[in-house]
Order: sequence, then structure tokens, then C-alpha cells
Amino acid sequence: MNEERRKILDMLSQGKITADEAEKLLDAVGDPGPAAKAEAGADTAVRRSWKYLRIQVEPGPNSEEDERVNIRVPFKLIRAGLKFAAFIPREAHDKVNKAFREKGMDIDLARITPQDLEEIVSNLDDMTIEVDGKDKVRIFCE
Amino acid sequence: MLPLLVRFKVKEPGRRGFGLWFPVILVWIILAALMLVLLPFVLLAALITIWRGPGLKLLLVYPLLAAVLWNLGGLTIDVGQKEKALLIDFI
Repeated sequence: MNEERRKILDMLSQGKITADEAEKLLDAVGDPGPAAKAEAGADTAVRRSWKYLRIQVEPGPNSEEDERVNIRVPFKLIRAGLKFAAFIPREAHDKVNKAFREKGMDIDLARITPQDLEEIVSNLDDMTIEVDGKDKVRIFCE
Repeated sequence: MLPLLVRFKVKEPGRRGFGLWFPVILVWIILAALMLVLLPFVLLAALITIWRGPGLKLLLVYPLLAAVLWNLGGLTIDVGQKEKALLIDFI
């Protein structure tokens, strides 16, 4: 808690100001300020600087197949490709929905909007998956 | 960015592998010419199916396809298993 907010709460507890006044003052100091904004902006810039989705599979110590996969997909390509979802015919939607249900997922493809897809892709950069089994699988952004 | 080159590398057990740098821009030029030739037919199909069917959505194929091809640059697929290997790299 910063100093201004503490002072306001002190003033409220001492009865120098009313609850309404305290609320207004807290709203007024609620602005994070230029330094915090700059920090948040820098964080966002780092997040948005990721260009690729990477999928890596490397053989683990017990692996017999010795499979190696290294795939790098540009995020812009994912976004462009997802726009083709509009061309999926309605008949195919039923088949896809059925396949989803068989896998235990109650998803209706027709209800997924381009905005939903965009949200999924824009949040992919928060994702890092590491799986250690026979093979070591890593999915991350770079 | 639109890739200008694509690098292929294939290796199979018991065979001599090969690598190839292909100027994929040639494919884009041919594809652009083909799309231009097909444009009147796509327009016709869009008009015919405007009430029932894909209709004007068909016209979106051109910009969407262009967007996909334009952003292929940087796509790398590198898969291998023991002595097998496959590399496709859009540069």
C-alpha cells in the first residue's frame, strides 16, 4: 500500500474525513502513476515481442524411438490460418462437435467466434508446457 | 514476411539424403497468375451462391490466402527419428 492511501485511511479512522470523501480520495490516488504505467507497458511490450510458437520433442533417457521434433510456427501465421475457420461447412461442425464429445469436451464449434479464437491466440504467449516422460516435450513462445 | 526461399532436407535410412534450396517465390508468381485467371470464376460463383451457400465469403479466400502465404516466413518443421530426418524451412 502506498503512503497516500495509508494517509487517507488514517484520516478516515481518525474521523477527519467521511467515508464518501475517503472513497473519492482513494479513487483520485488510484491512478498507478507514470512509473508504474511505464513498467506495465514494458511488460506488455515484452509479451508482444514473441513471434513464434515452438514445439520441441527431444528423446528422454529411456526413449527407444529417438524421435526429435522441432517446429516453429509464426504467431501471425496462426492468426491468418484461424480466419479460415469461417469456411468450415456446417455439416463439418456436427462431426467436429461429435468428436469433441467423444473426447469428453462439450464444445459447440458454431459458438466459437473469431474473437474467441483471437483471445486464445493472444494468450498463447503465456503458455509454457513441459512434459517429461519417455520423451521431453516443450511448448513455449519465443 | 513472404518467404522467398524454402529449404528442404530429407534423410532416409539406407539412402543418401538430399538437401534443396528452392526459390519459392516462383511458386508465388505462378499462384498469383492462377488466382488472377480464376478471379472471374470466383466472382461468378460468389454471385450464384449469394443467397444459398458461401456467397460473398468466397471473395475472402483471396485476402486470407494472401495473409497465410505472406506469414509463412519463419515456419520451420524439423522432424527426425533415428536415421530419418525431414526439414522444411521457409526463409
